[in-house]
Amino acid sequence: MLAPLSWLKEYVDIKLTPKELGEKLTEVGLGVEKITKTSDDTIFELEITPNRPDLLSIIGITREIAAIENQPAGKAGKNIKYPKFKTQLKPTAKVLPLTIKTDSKINPRFTGIIISGVKVGESPKWLKDRLEKMGQRPINNIVDITNYVMLELGNPIHAFDYDKIAEHIMIVSQTKGGEKFESVDGVTYHLPKDTVVISDKEKIIDLCGIKGGRNTGTYEDTKTIFIRVPVEISNLIRRTSLSLGLRSEASSIFERGVNAGGTIDALKRTVDLVLELAGGEVASELYDIKKEYFKPWKLELRVKRLNQILGIEIPTKKILEILGSLNLSPIHLPGERKRHLEGETVIECAIPTYRNDLKIEEDLIEEIARIYGYNNFPKTMPGGTIPTKQIPYFKDYRLDEKVKNILKASGFSEIYTYSLISEKDLIEAGINSQNVLRVDNPVSRDFEYLRPTLKTNLLKALSQNKSNFEKINLFELGKVYNGKNLDEAEENYFLSGISNSKSYFEVKGMLEKIFEDLGIKEDPTRYIEILNERIFFELNYSELIKKINPDKKFIPLPKYPPIVEDLSIISDAKTSEIIDEIKKQSSIIVNVSLLDQFEDSRTFHIVYQDENKNLTGEEVAKIREKLLKSLKEKFTARLRE
Amino acid sequence: MEEELMQIKNSAVSMIIEATDQKELEEIKLQFLGRSGKLTSLFKEITKVPIERRREVGQLANDVKNIIEETLRLAQDKVSDQESQSRKESIDVTAPGIKPPIGHIHPMTQVLYDVVDIFKKIGFQVADGPEIESDYYNFEALNIAKDHPARDTQQTLYLDTRNSKINPGEIILRTQTSAMQGRVMEKVKPPVRVIVPGKNFRYEQVDASHGFEFWQVEGFMVDENVRLTDLFGTIDYVLKKLMGESTKLKFATTNFPFVEPGVDTYIECTVCKGKARLPDGQGCSFCKHSGWSEIMPAGMIHPNVLKAVGYDSQKVSGFAFAIGLSRLVTLRYQMDDLRLLTNPDLRILNQF
Repeated sequence: MLAPLSWLKEYVDIKLTPKELGEKLTEVGLGVEKITKTSDDTIFELEITPNRPDLLSIIGITREIAAIENQPAGKAGKNIKYPKFKTQLKPTAKVLPLTIKTDSKINPRFTGIIISGVKVGESPKWLKDRLEKMGQRPINNIVDITNYVMLELGNPIHAFDYDKIAEHIMIVSQTKGGEKFESVDGVTYHLPKDTVVISDKEKIIDLCGIKGGRNTGTYEDTKTIFIRVPVEISNLIRRTSLSLGLRSEASSIFERGVNAGGTIDALKRTVDLVLELAGGEVASELYDIKKEYFKPWKLELRVKRLNQILGIEIPTKKILEILGSLNLSPIHLPGERKRHLEGETVIECAIPTYRNDLKIEEDLIEEIARIYGYNNFPKTMPGGTIPTKQIPYFKDYRLDEKVKNILKASGFSEIYTYSLISEKDLIEAGINSQNVLRVDNPVSRDFEYLRPTLKTNLLKALSQNKSNFEKINLFELGKVYNGKNLDEAEENYFLSGISNSKSYFEVKGMLEKIFEDLGIKEDPTRYIEILNERIFFELNYSELIKKINPDKKFIPLPKYPPIVEDLSIISDAKTSEIIDEIKKQSSIIVNVSLLDQFEDSRTFHIVYQDENKNLTGEEVAKIREKLLKSLKEKFTARLRE
Repeated sequence: MEEELMQIKNSAVSMIIEATDQKELEEIKLQFLGRSGKLTSLFKEITKVPIERRREVGQLANDVKNIIEETLRLAQDKVSDQESQSRKESIDVTAPGIKPPIGHIHPMTQVLYDVVDIFKKIGFQVADGPEIESDYYNFEALNIAKDHPARDTQQTLYLDTRNSKINPGEIILRTQTSAMQGRVMEKVKPPVRVIVPGKNFRYEQVDASHGFEFWQVEGFMVDENVRLTDLFGTIDYVLKKLMGESTKLKFATTNFPFVEPGVDTYIECTVCKGKARLPDGQGCSFCKHSGWSEIMPAGMIHPNVLKAVGYDSQKVSGFAFAIGLSRLVTLRYQMDDLRLLTNPDLRILNQF
């Protein structure tokens, strides 16, 4: 939302400098994105939160400024200079016929009036300038006035060419779906089902709350206009707007909830300006078909509760002052009207219809806090007890840290890559995209599928680094998403890495070390893959950490010395088979490891140890003989001479 | 005899002390302890000592031998140290050392560990939740109904529901880690203090300060009597611990349907140092020319959210916040583009 300082100043006295005002506006909730100085003005660019449709109007912003500047309320709404109206909304010319059929379930309020004898033409300079400052393109005096009043007061308005409304009948209804509609700006839309539209006897003439129709728009030859100021249903407008991909200033106001009590004022303001700038006379009674009388509602604030939530004691006088400056008509409920706890101070507010965001006590508490100024609050640390029970979804980050430190110590660097990958990535990895979870509305085709492996990104990362580095070792600990369709969707942390410089056994040893540190007894071989010159590993980390055995127990040092020997064995058997076979021979063989490998022979390092006594050479010799015999029988292995 | 032994000892020790290199020490050793050395010769004489004193003299001769050997050993060690010292002087020690070939932990992880540590000190535990999330936890449990306009501020990536029983729009990629509020709180009673680090997804065009994937650390606490000032204090404590005591912060009002009052936290932009302009005169695009970076939206948990998880909003209150972790990392290291965090270039990673 844009707000020129010159326009704001018409309704409120501003003592703050533009910079100070910008800072305060941000603090109270109108995020200032930019302040632009032009030759004759200062334009604020404000980010308006979805709960404040009233701030999509200049008058709404001036109300905030009045509160920031701490201007006393006087009578409700009177701390700003609200426009004064001339028109009585009574016909002065011949009354023209119009039939309106509406339904309060889809159109809670339909306010309007006919003006005949208008002269459509260019708007005066002041009006065009103002619209241009608001980022709008002037069209003609009638259209410009409706836009101007919407920007000023926050109620969207549409002017129809009365003579083009077939049989002067307006019917508000919902579409069946598929109807064609051409908007004032000449774009044709196929309307979705349940769109709220106005039709005359022949055709759809208005896409309610979003855009008027080209067939009944105001052009040079228009003589008589019907001005409509409606209240629309937020959800219905939002659905149509999203489904057509069509946003307008009007639709963003209706989506957030228009000021239902503001239609008459907006109509009066429009009529005044039309009569002044385009001539003509009021040619109908006021139409105001509504579901209910839209009146301010009451909301109570308990001072004790306020102070409890905020953590500071704000004096009741100050609270009343703030609520007053926001035009919330606060009444300090005295004596017998204390309806809550004994002795509790209660303030009753009357919430104006433009403040749809104020519905519960907490909303009022925020009003006090933001105008008091968040940056004026002291800072405290929470009291109470620290919860000790382990929470659901608990995650132990120290485990990740432990694992990542081993990878780091082994020369691997950590990367973070996108979870979303392209179909091309999948094809290159030989994965059928039919079996991969997919995003319906990807930001681009490059980021369409949820990665079923970390491999594709690691391979890309490796080749990206090739031009600058010779030895590249990378890893990622990140989510991987599996399942052929959403019913089977599963997400797990995967730990994967790639290296173009480590040997198979270095990578295997690193994984063995990780497993050992986590107390997991498992052979990592199945997680490692050889891809040309590169070694890749990938494992389901979420599954892995379920197997963790954190209990470590000290094993006393042996009291008797071991006997150690190295045996060189010639055999075709797998190393692990030989080691297992050797270990099986005796309980006093406490460790067997592969020491060396040369041509067809492998040297095993064997540690013999008895925990109860000193071993003798003869005892060891017996076991050696047994194990050699057994290796010979099983693997036709022999000792290298 | 005893006298001779003492003399040998004294002269050997003084010679050893004065010796300056190994060769000299070798000669001294030979001179006293060698096959025809002075002490060795004297040992042969011991048989000539009268039998009643032989034991005593023998003991003394052994002591002298031990002393000479020990002194010699110490001197050899000392000389060898000195020699290696002078060898060191002969190499170019100014050449760089050979570093062990260790890798690097990503800056995001490093900052995340800090965040987890800081919160642990004030009693927050870490939870981890799904990225493939239901519309209910991501929006509805957070007081954002289906047609709520606040959904526009978090454009959602929807998952393909073909071949599944799930209705379109029901399962999404979570847009915020706040989705974990409902999941955790519906399972435990207050007091709760939880942080949830994790990745989020939004339909957003990528630029220097936005990404369609980004990290947040959600946090929430509910107890009797949790106050807005506690929220301000906690944010202040955490951000100053993370970014340094001199960090400048400011708070502003904002609206998220799941908090009331709603708070936004801004931190002075570390890229332009709050000046909104870079030294070369260009505007700072990282903070959108404002000098401040939005870092931690927060607020007091809305009564409807407490109600949805079965808490009584009249008895307990709480606050929630979301730290923009990706942005925090870039701010801490003065990186001017969020995309650097997902770039696997080792020239970036090796700096951390």
